[in-house]
Amino acid sequence: MPAPDSATKGPTSGTPLRDLAVMIGGQGGDGTLTVSDLLARYFRRRGLYVYSSRNVLSRIRGGHADASVRASERPIAAEKAEIDLLVAFDAEAIRFGQPELDENGLILYDSSSFQSDAPSAVGFPFATLVGGQIGQPIYKNTAAYGAISVMMGFDPAVTRGVIESRFQRRGAEALEKNLKALEIGRKLALERPELVGRWSVADGDAHERLLLTGNQAAALGFVVGGGRFFAGYPITPATEIMEYLMRYLPPLHGVVRQAEDELAAINMVLGAAYAGARAMTSTSGPGLSLMTEGIGHAGAAEIPVLVADCQRVGPSTGEPTRHEQSDLAHLANLGHGEFPRVIIAPGTVDDCFHLTVRALNIAERWRLPVILLLDQALCQNSVTTAPFDLGPVRIDRGDRLGAEALAQRARYAYYEVTPSGPSAYAPPGVPGGIAQVTGNEHDEMGHVSVNPVNRAKMMEKRMGKLVKLAPELPEPAIFGPADARIGIIGYGSTFGPIREAQERLRADGRTTRFYQARTLFPVPVDSLRTFLDSVDVAYVVEHNYTGQFARLIREHLPERHAKLRTLLKFDGMSFRAPEIAERVRGG
Amino acid sequence: MVENVKPIASTWCPGCGDFGLLASLKKAALELGIPAHELVLVGGIGCSGGIHNFLDMNGLHALHGRLLAQAVGVKLANPKLTVIAAGGDGDGYAIGMGHFMHAFKKNASILYLVMNNETYGLTKGQASPTSQVGFEGNVENPFDAVLTALSIPVPNFVARTFSGDPKQMTAVLVEALKFNRENKGFAFVEDLSPCVTYNDTFKEWRAKVQDLAKLPGYDPTDRAATFRMCLETIREGKIPIGVMHRPAAVDPATSALELKLLPDRLGPAMAEIGLEPNRAAYAKLLGGLA
Repeated sequence: MPAPDSATKGPTSGTPLRDLAVMIGGQGGDGTLTVSDLLARYFRRRGLYVYSSRNVLSRIRGGHADASVRASERPIAAEKAEIDLLVAFDAEAIRFGQPELDENGLILYDSSSFQSDAPSAVGFPFATLVGGQIGQPIYKNTAAYGAISVMMGFDPAVTRGVIESRFQRRGAEALEKNLKALEIGRKLALERPELVGRWSVADGDAHERLLLTGNQAAALGFVVGGGRFFAGYPITPATEIMEYLMRYLPPLHGVVRQAEDELAAINMVLGAAYAGARAMTSTSGPGLSLMTEGIGHAGAAEIPVLVADCQRVGPSTGEPTRHEQSDLAHLANLGHGEFPRVIIAPGTVDDCFHLTVRALNIAERWRLPVILLLDQALCQNSVTTAPFDLGPVRIDRGDRLGAEALAQRARYAYYEVTPSGPSAYAPPGVPGGIAQVTGNEHDEMGHVSVNPVNRAKMMEKRMGKLVKLAPELPEPAIFGPADARIGIIGYGSTFGPIREAQERLRADGRTTRFYQARTLFPVPVDSLRTFLDSVDVAYVVEHNYTGQFARLIREHLPERHAKLRTLLKFDGMSFRAPEIAERVRGG
Repeated sequence: MVENVKPIASTWCPGCGDFGLLASLKKAALELGIPAHELVLVGGIGCSGGIHNFLDMNGLHALHGRLLAQAVGVKLANPKLTVIAAGGDGDGYAIGMGHFMHAFKKNASILYLVMNNETYGLTKGQASPTSQVGFEGNVENPFDAVLTALSIPVPNFVARTFSGDPKQMTAVLVEALKFNRENKGFAFVEDLSPCVTYNDTFKEWRAKVQDLAKLPGYDPTDRAATFRMCLETIREGKIPIGVMHRPAAVDPATSALELKLLPDRLGPAMAEIGLEPNRAAYAKLLGGLA
């Protein structure tokens, strides 16, 4: 029996939702992600912009897990601060989600095993009914989707179409059971006239858009950017890059290997890159620590490797499924000794695609390690994004020599000092292209050398790349009027919350200017100086305790020190726009 | 004619066992007529790992213990290259042990040469994973890489040579290189290569080595029989050498990692990666996104 309807609060009938959020919570294995996925599919079919995120524990089943779907008529790239509908499969989910519930929000919960006396809660015994009629209570998630569809006034045909497209591949039986569960859920809600069409959701204009994660976009960027060799080791939140590439690369003469550990992964990548392949690995904190040795080798031996670091909570094992941006200080100083490295930081899914292409060009042209710095929210949350435009894609391999070009030369030296910076490269196997490549200090021919004059020359050769390559680095994106006096600086997934915070601040008369850093190292001092000179104060928004990016900027622009304020969050959760806006309002 | 890097004179101590392997490797490559530019020697860290500097071929000097991972990367990037990894017992059996075990599992067609001198020579004579009990205070049991290799049921090539027997060594290396060039899988050859400065075992080893091929019942296609023969030889106080395992038949297409992944032998290093030639494939990939 349904619980007594205590939903005396909540929206009046037919309240339009232009920017809505649904949070679905329960035990891991309850199918919260399925509900989230079904809703995201529905909203996309209606042309809405979608942002979906998940909050899971590092275990396969059990423990609290929740997923959120946000849908809006306008582009979004962050979670919404308030939840309109909380779907709860257990009491814990209500406890977790209720504090974030909008004052007009509702809770829809499975009353099979508990009752809630929350003022805005509606209970339906999804598991009991579904278990009784279909035999497997797990389909309660599809039943919940059915009830939501009625409450939000979804189009019934599109609602059903989403189920068909989602479950068709699982076979006729699975599809049939899900369609039954859908009807069970719809019927439950339809029997309660006060819940029918409680909200209305209009169509949006984003029909042509894709729903992608940063990890998938980076994998696609790697493929289109000519990446053909990948080796990695499973680690949250980086694993999907490897999984996507396992699907994408084999038809393109590409190779993907799951290595025995991160040491093997980076070294396989070093071997493949030495041999002439565009090569990448992806990892997260603990794996990055192991790869540090190999990345230093890439810098010393001048082997072009791309390392995607999908940041999570550290140090040590930290919180594998949670969000942080705390690897930058390590990366900027990574490794023993001194060598050039470039750190590129996409902030959007589109950036993840295009900046991966550019990172590959920089690595191969300048023959050094490039870090693609991502973060958990950017890696794993899904966002609607325009189809990728191949127009700006360029493949620049630098001075790559074949047999004919080699035959024209008097000498081929892997470490040749050139006025432009990078040495020409011939892949092994080409006649006339024999080389010695080593992480020992070496002369131009690759012979080991401890000659002090040579050492100084080679240090200049390698470290000088950082100055010479500067014009090729991804430029920042700046948002907001030029006369704004309040600056905000951020990178990675803070892009979305910062953009929304700007809107909130503008609404109460505070215009702001946002510098989205897309290159973090070498620190883009020129554009940062110009930006800082245009504002009175700049908040550096980042997810760590010590203000790593702010410290890096201070180190390189000490004379602008006084203008910088840190705006930090280090609880494992992404910023939401109001948190940033409030801090800026507070000064 | 374009000038390429030239081999330099060896930096090893006079009389080092590694000279034996260097000479045999040169002979084997010459005998098989492998062009220098198609050969890549991935060297480890330690005295023996410097061998790439003394050979007229491509050299990739790896990190300590990581040479096998790099060598597999080279081979998978371009399966047409002949890839040799060479290092010492510390490099391979201590810091590199994980990669060593996985090299058997991967079964890429590379040749791995370990110059085993039972000590860390370059750091002046500490005990290594293969050191005998009592050497420099060693109380741990010596590791036997050949017995370990024999215990892994992969159709690969396993042999042990002795630097004091160059004729046998050259024959083994010719066979191992052929095995690799025919894409038959991983070839592992341990060379007993005495360190004349810190652990001069030349005399002792010369007296102890026993070529299994000279024993009755020798059949290197029978892994169990060779394993037993090794144990018996060791029990008699001798050191077994020779070809320890040679698979009776190998189908490269289903055995060697590089051919399983790249049946047409065109690897990532030589694939056409420009936008134009791949435009149709990319359109299909991007067009298929939900």
